[in-house]
Amino acid sequence: MAELTLFTYRKGDSLLHLLDVRCKFILLCLTSICIFKAHFSSVFLFIFVLIFFFINCRINLLKNLSGLAFFLLLLVLMFISRSVALPGDPVFTLFDISVTKQGMTDGALMVSRFFTIMMAGILFSITTRPASLKNAIQWLLKPVPFVPEKRVAVMVSLALTFLPLILRQANQVSDAQKARLGNLNKNPVKKIVRLSIPLLKKTFVSADNLAFAMEARCYDEDRTDPEFHLSGKEGLFFIGGLVLSACLVLY
Amino acid sequence: MKTPLIKIENLNHSFSDGTCGIRDICLCIDPEEFIILAGRNGSGKTTLIRHFNGLLHPSSGKITLNGNSIFKDINLARKKIGMIFQDADTQIVGDTVFDEVAFGLENLKIERQYITKKVMQVLKQLHLDHLKDRSPATLSGGEKRKLAIAGILVMEPDIILFDEPFSNLDYPGTLSILEILIDLHESGRTIIVAAHNMEAIIAHATRLIIMEDGRIKKDGPPKDLVKTLERFGIKEPCSSRLGFGIQPWQN
Amino acid sequence: MNKPNQLRMTVYAALFVALIAIGAFIHIPIGPIPIVLQNMFVLLAGIILGPVWGLACVAIYLFIGICGLPVFSGGHSGIGWILGPTGGYLIAYLPAVVATASISKILGQKFSGNVIAMVAGSVIIYALGVPWLKFAFSMTWTKAFAAGMYPFIIGDCVKVIAAAMIARMLKPVVTLQPQNKTA
Repeated sequence: MAELTLFTYRKGDSLLHLLDVRCKFILLCLTSICIFKAHFSSVFLFIFVLIFFFINCRINLLKNLSGLAFFLLLLVLMFISRSVALPGDPVFTLFDISVTKQGMTDGALMVSRFFTIMMAGILFSITTRPASLKNAIQWLLKPVPFVPEKRVAVMVSLALTFLPLILRQANQVSDAQKARLGNLNKNPVKKIVRLSIPLLKKTFVSADNLAFAMEARCYDEDRTDPEFHLSGKEGLFFIGGLVLSACLVLY
Repeated sequence: MKTPLIKIENLNHSFSDGTCGIRDICLCIDPEEFIILAGRNGSGKTTLIRHFNGLLHPSSGKITLNGNSIFKDINLARKKIGMIFQDADTQIVGDTVFDEVAFGLENLKIERQYITKKVMQVLKQLHLDHLKDRSPATLSGGEKRKLAIAGILVMEPDIILFDEPFSNLDYPGTLSILEILIDLHESGRTIIVAAHNMEAIIAHATRLIIMEDGRIKKDGPPKDLVKTLERFGIKEPCSSRLGFGIQPWQN
Repeated sequence: MNKPNQLRMTVYAALFVALIAIGAFIHIPIGPIPIVLQNMFVLLAGIILGPVWGLACVAIYLFIGICGLPVFSGGHSGIGWILGPTGGYLIAYLPAVVATASISKILGQKFSGNVIAMVAGSVIIYALGVPWLKFAFSMTWTKAFAAGMYPFIIGDCVKVIAAAMIARMLKPVVTLQPQNKTA
């Protein structure tokens, strides 16, 4: 469970918490795409903007870095492989493999871009309630043809309610098996099957109940639209976001 | 003679695998009754009450609400006949307490302003208003059960069906749900409770129906039937067993 | 499709979205590399939900991950993770679930047919995941296969067999509804 709650929503009243989720989401997408054109100067500008918001949300970034260990490891690997793969002026050579200057610059740029996107994404997750995110998804999918946006919104909401339910049931099943020394079984296929079958049977029965409960409450796909709360600063953020995106593309 | 609120005539239901769920059920329910539907596990209680709001379709027989078949306007029937499921966990749809309560009204496509007003009113009534932004998964068992009741009450039902409302609840949880049940009955609603342990509620019931093997075996005032309960595999309440008759559980 | 059944499929698909998300967190320690159940749930979603609902389910999983819910492995989310070095495996879930579902349907949803369908699905996942990894790290093909495929093959065989057994046992639970067909 701890892993699942690492980058989830935290209550707060910072600028980003109050900002309309649609505005936040569009800006996140825009900057995430633009950053692949960016160079060092604008990437650092973006990082400064993010640091400002992290401070504004009172979130200690350094404390959370441990949860990103795997991601950071990937970034290090990416940097190393880029450094050795690109041809150019060698900085030093080790066992016939030369680390080039061009490679290091290119690697550092790639890594800083990915790191920045990741930070922006974390900031978004921390400041956005899943429920309002679901509403934003519905709003964004509305103009997309052939996608029943209301059904998608209901499915997202259901998936979110299933998550804690399944986790609890998984723990129960695993404890019940340990109590009967099931963990001594060496056959991997049996191990998976014995864990999955009771879990899936239970969750499918729960799903059936849920379907009944929804029907009992007049479930209909044609539902009341969600409402959004504007903080009044959306215009300002939009302009800021556009300027930032322009910087990312141009510099 | 006035028409009964709900009238069930010769209701039969067999499942798709051939087993018989309920047989030859004839039942009239008048306004403001407080009915306990008793029977051991598998006696057909849940199957019967799932016919009341059309979740299950009868193999034969019919159900009318105020003289009209419930299938004529199924959404009206489901709005008027609220249903609380046995497992509170698997009937929660929303990802916040507020959204969960609003779900039914959203399905009926009622306008947002009214929904907000009504949901807050019901949350206050059940003393859940301080939890409105919480995730339902983080609530206690008693709070979840209350939340499920709130989700039904916003639809302003005349009849409320409870399937094992006290299962898996601790003592304070049971007391608070009992209090709500009594309040709802006093406010003029018809209450039907399916249960195999009626210790807590029998003092407040106006009618006791005992089921076995899918049939109604006994139907009458609780004080006349309480001594026959154990013949049908249902525990007789302590006070009655000890010769004090039926005593209220509170105080 | 009638209304109650459509609702039921919506709920089942949502359930699989949650299972795929949780699959990234359930480790079963077997041998040196722990088995993660995520791709097994993706393939199972194909077999149990069919191509259309299976695709919808995987698409929604990826979409909510991109939108910022921490459902990718290690609690990650966002477009950065999808575009990152291991993103190919995630994108590959889309064609894999459709292929698995279609093949299983054509072969009549038997045990052996399901195994073939899921092997095909797994091949698709690697066919997209490994080249993606190669280009992200600009490594050689040999290295890409050594890092992104060989260590997982045994685990995948185990998972495919287990999933086929699960599908067989789960079928009666999922299809045998107390709901009659006249609804």
